[in-house]
Amino acid sequence: MKRLPHLFRSPEAIAGALILALLAAMALAAPLLFPGDPQAIAGPALLPPFQDWSLPLGTDRLGRDVLAELFHGARTSLAVGLAAAAAALLIGALVGTLAGFAGGLVDEVLMRITDAFQTVPSFLLALAFVSIVGPSLGVVVAAIALSAWTGPARVARAEVLSIRERDYVAGARVIGMHPLEIAFREVLPNALPPVLALSSVIVAAAILTEAALSFLGLGDPNRVTWGGMIAEGRTVLRTAPFLSIVPGVALVLTVLGVYLAGEGVVESTAMRRSLS
Amino acid sequence: MPELTISRRGLLAGSALLLASTALPTIGFAQTPKKGGRLVLAADSEPRNLNPAIVASNGVFFISSKIVETLAEASFDGKDGLQPRLALSWEGAADGLSVTFKLRDGIKWHDGMPFTSADVAFSALQIWKPLQNLGRTVFKDLAAVDTPDELTAIFKFAKPTPFQLIRNALPALSSVVPKHLYEVGKIEENPANNAPVGTGPFKFAEYKAGQYYRLTRNDAYWGKDEPYLDEIVYQVLPDRTSAAAALEAEEIQLAAFSAVPLADLDRISKVPGLKVITKGYEGLTYQLVVEINHRRKELADLKVRQAIAHAIDKDFVVKTVFLGYAATATGPVPKNDPQFYTAEVPTYPFDVAKANALLDEAGYKRADDGKRFALKLLPAPYFNETKQFGDYLRQALAAIGIDAQIVNNDSAAHIKAVYTDHAFDLAVGPPVFRGDPAISTTILVQSGIPDGVPFSNQGGYKNADLDALIVKASETLDTSARTGLYKEFQKKVATDLPLINVAEWSFISVARDTVGNIANNPRWAVSNWADTYLES
Repeated sequence: MKRLPHLFRSPEAIAGALILALLAAMALAAPLLFPGDPQAIAGPALLPPFQDWSLPLGTDRLGRDVLAELFHGARTSLAVGLAAAAAALLIGALVGTLAGFAGGLVDEVLMRITDAFQTVPSFLLALAFVSIVGPSLGVVVAAIALSAWTGPARVARAEVLSIRERDYVAGARVIGMHPLEIAFREVLPNALPPVLALSSVIVAAAILTEAALSFLGLGDPNRVTWGGMIAEGRTVLRTAPFLSIVPGVALVLTVLGVYLAGEGVVESTAMRRSLS
Repeated sequence: MPELTISRRGLLAGSALLLASTALPTIGFAQTPKKGGRLVLAADSEPRNLNPAIVASNGVFFISSKIVETLAEASFDGKDGLQPRLALSWEGAADGLSVTFKLRDGIKWHDGMPFTSADVAFSALQIWKPLQNLGRTVFKDLAAVDTPDELTAIFKFAKPTPFQLIRNALPALSSVVPKHLYEVGKIEENPANNAPVGTGPFKFAEYKAGQYYRLTRNDAYWGKDEPYLDEIVYQVLPDRTSAAAALEAEEIQLAAFSAVPLADLDRISKVPGLKVITKGYEGLTYQLVVEINHRRKELADLKVRQAIAHAIDKDFVVKTVFLGYAATATGPVPKNDPQFYTAEVPTYPFDVAKANALLDEAGYKRADDGKRFALKLLPAPYFNETKQFGDYLRQALAAIGIDAQIVNNDSAAHIKAVYTDHAFDLAVGPPVFRGDPAISTTILVQSGIPDGVPFSNQGGYKNADLDALIVKASETLDTSARTGLYKEFQKKVATDLPLINVAEWSFISVARDTVGNIANNPRWAVSNWADTYLES
């Protein structure tokens, strides 16, 4: 309960939280405000924004409602961003905890695997993965998680390395708890906060990666995505720039919102820690 | 400040007068081509093999047709739609077993050797028939080429071959390459494939990967005073949006093959000094086709195929996807073909209610969620328009309860998925009509084609009647009887819908208005440009 007032102390955090709340509302309201297929043809093609109030943001090259696409695109972006970040944090925390707690050969092997993943540019990895397996939402999430889990793994390992020397861990050993139980019930929960602090960066990166994949035609073609909208608008950039600008601005705001809100959370936790 | 205004006005008036005076004498001879100059144009792909005798495709012709010539070229007003190039005349025997070509005298290859009938015989027998993508079908019965003298080549066929087909194939399939360079070693690995040597108005000068191809004037060209240009430079601009910008910045003077996106044409046509030209591609018609996998039980049902045809609003496709730069299609031969096209075929007007009724009749009722069945839809990735039509088709099918899931692939993966693995239910393809249905159109519906042949019937469609008709037409020598059979062919295809023809389109050129003699034949972009010129 104490965390909220702390969070709202910084104006950046408030702005970030507001943007995120707006986005979440957009994503949740999309099927209510724009029921049916957002890719359905709704009017004349290439209608500029603010001309027809039933299509406030105009239409794209096939006459699809840009506002409906924007709302449904928010769903895809947020879903992919959150799912990919959750998967990356989960994998990262597991690998990091195992490596840090077990030490020795297990640590060596897991960390060298992490190194291997880190040496490949993460976007290239996602690109290769999607073009081999084929684009669909699940694959895109997996591809992004695959390229993003190494950061959380390293942070979790470092944290676990310091925690495992604490007295309560030694105590747990003495009372005969199974090492795995100690690792995941005693150590991991205490190692989590710094790992979770990475989440805002990962969510923002995941949203951007998804947009980039869609832009290159490697997103799920049966769903509206902001990256896909920008890619479609690119061919008519000179005649209908709004088709690229509208989803582009949405993308910028989202990433900014996620980042600001994440910073706010980190700051407030840091403040709480220094207070306590 | 006032002085400045006056001087600027004076300067403007003076320069306008000067401009006008240079324009005056040219008004009388507006059509007289000027000699010299370098034409810079956009190229969007970089073919590695530039030998048009092996790879008969527009991407290769675009560059190599200026270097390597064919026996004849397409023409707006010539007899049978042809004009002479390397051959002066062509005559088919009544029994369909031979065709005699009389060749032009005094032609020299770019390396100075004389061009003779031996070169024609070599190209036909060693390259067109065994190696060329299109020649394999058209010249399959070519048995020998007799060369009684240096300027006569007599093609001998083992089975009667319609002269009409050979004639229609000349512009695209008859590129002649020098025997003396190709007779040693493997033809596919000959260095001249990458630096072609021909008889054409321009010589191959250099190629810098990712940058440009440069061709220079052939001073020994056979055409009187031709060519007019000194150089042609193909600037490689793979990004379509950059061609329009390059034209406006005067970095290039010409963008052919719709290098400028259709959506930009309206804007660019208003830019002073640029002109948009829709002519000059009549012989290169692309067809927008829904390819159907007849192995799917739903799609094997004629009623379902009819329903899909009724669900597609062809006028909307032409207006929205092609922005009007296309025509609706009625069948497998495009409307602009002067020899074969017939409008007397069954048509499928846009009618969603009828499409729904047909699907109900076929026994595919809507489930509770409004869907009848799901399909995999693979739009070909080669053109923006094929991808956009894929998006449209998905919506059109949704309106009649068919849930189409789009699968995007790159070019190589698309060709493999559709033409080798048959891993599709519906595909959107852009086959090319090449002036005669026997060249590349009948194989779209004929059965018995081995797996893996791109742009052929890989949908498992089999119709004995249609197969028999195709075979009969390929053996019919009389031109009007043969044309009649192909009209029958169009009717049968439109009735049974082995595939659905939606629209026909061609390309657009955008040029600076200093470029002269543009679009003066139906295959202009892939012809030799000997008469193209630049006004300064």
